Amino acid sequence: MKKKYRLIEPYIWILPSCVLMALFIALPIGMVFRMAFSQVTRAGIVKGFTGFDNFIAATGKPAFKIVLWNTVVWTVVVVVVSTVVGFILALLLNNEFRGRKIARAIVVFPWATTLVIQASVWNFIINTDYGTLNTLLKKLGIISTNINWTPTPGAYFAWECFVGIFVTIPFVTFCVLSGLQGIDESFYEAATADGANYWQKLFHITIPLVRPQLTVSTVLNIIYVFNSFPIIWTMSKGDPANRTDTLVTYLYKLAFYNGKQGQAAAISVIGFLILLVCASVYMVFTLRGQKER
Amino acid sequence: MKNTGKKALTGKKLVLRILLYIAVIAFCVVILYPYFIMFTSALKSRAEIYSINGTLLPIKWRWSNLIDIWRKAPMLNYFLNSIIIALGSTAIAMVCGIPAAYALTRMKFKGQNVFLGIVIVSQMFAPVVLVIGIYKIMMTFHLVNSLLGLILVNAAFNQAFTVWLLRGTFDAISPEMEKAARIDGCGRVQSMFKVLLPIAAPGIVTTLIFVFINAWNEYTIALTLISDDVVKPLTVGINIFNGYNMVEWQYLFAASLFSIIPVIILFIGIEKNLASGLAAGGVKG
Repeated sequence: MKKKYRLIEPYIWILPSCVLMALFIALPIGMVFRMAFSQVTRAGIVKGFTGFDNFIAATGKPAFKIVLWNTVVWTVVVVVVSTVVGFILALLLNNEFRGRKIARAIVVFPWATTLVIQASVWNFIINTDYGTLNTLLKKLGIISTNINWTPTPGAYFAWECFVGIFVTIPFVTFCVLSGLQGIDESFYEAATADGANYWQKLFHITIPLVRPQLTVSTVLNIIYVFNSFPIIWTMSKGDPANRTDTLVTYLYKLAFYNGKQGQAAAISVIGFLILLVCASVYMVFTLRGQKER
Repeated sequence: MKNTGKKALTGKKLVLRILLYIAVIAFCVVILYPYFIMFTSALKSRAEIYSINGTLLPIKWRWSNLIDIWRKAPMLNYFLNSIIIALGSTAIAMVCGIPAAYALTRMKFKGQNVFLGIVIVSQMFAPVVLVIGIYKIMMTFHLVNSLLGLILVNAAFNQAFTVWLLRGTFDAISPEMEKAARIDGCGRVQSMFKVLLPIAAPGIVTTLIFVFINAWNEYTIALTLISDDVVKPLTVGINIFNGYNMVEWQYLFAASLFSIIPVIILFIGIEKNLASGLAAGGVKG
């Protein structure tokens, strides 16, 4: 009896966690798949199986191409730029200087602030008529008349990318910093003795040694940025005419504004599959890391 | 690479030091700029906000804005809802996450890696991709427009981080003390509460605060599930000032200040532990 209990005991310990994830993650995943392959009425009632009809309808629209391209640009630009800038910031903060603690605390700010508020503030800052960016530049004497910062949808999208980068940098910085602080000083001393210059040390010691942290932050950021909804939703709602939409804002509009839940579910499934590929890559990386341990 | 800064600086080193300060200050100024704008604009009058000849600082500091928002909108409601959601999500995430992390680090069982794999993969799916499914499920459970619904979704989507961070924490603690306690007649549960959890307290606090902040800042699911003003959290509620015709920026920002300041303070407290925890968890797998 006791032996039997010991066998099932671990499963009792993980049960609450499993139930929670099953009900609120696995079940919605199943529901999204079911709706993607079914006819769904405007009121959201799921009717019969329709095969790939929803996928064909959703991906056949001209808007879909724009949205897909925007999603790629959004994800790549935000992740690449914030990784590079975040890395540089981490190198700076890894030096010992007066006020370092304060600087670190300041870098936390964008990470801790909810995205909807960040996006609102930037929307206010770049406003043409009363935005404070124009006010600031005028006071500094750089411009004399107000500049329209968002003349085209592309310009708006670029600002959204900027805000995305702004809020993503701290995560990269702190991940890299945690790696930098684990590097043994003797590596650098030895390299200096061998006559290595700053750049040689950076590329041959620093970057290889923080590679694990960089990998984690990059892969997680790809997922977060791909899924990021509040920035674009708050700043432009994807308008005009889907020119600033990404997959998540597009599917949100389809589902909750246009009453096309079946098509929205189809796009969810596409997004889900893209993320699954990312997840698999991530798994391969982490499992490799485990073997090396 | 590290300068101690104690030695007398000369020539090239001095130049580097100055450049370092300039770079750090430049970063900090850019990062603080939107917060500066939020703060100063929160204290302007509407006329000043919309003025074409704007000023950087308010001409007249209207501290009354900070009080007005509590009368112009059900801010107290939003605030309390945010607290309830954040606390509830944290509690459920921990109650489910601690035993799971314990089992992963202190027991051996079939399917251990499968469970860990599911936890890692679940992290990949932000609620927004599944938002239609979540909405449907919540309709079935009658949890639309309910705080409990939001709490459960938040707790579920934070399960990955919770298990992840706690596993890292528990892993770093030797099981010897617990074994000793169990030889002395403690049960598993007792040894966990009496020995492991007190030692793991710093890691647990980090995890707890992180989940709290995530739930506090959550926007998308709240936007979708909540339409009733009585149960709106701050992130959704403050958009009451974001009217269709006119945005009351000064109130929006005043309300935002109340929403972000507590969280920033909490976050600064855990920043160091959190980053190393996340990165280490990922490196270890």
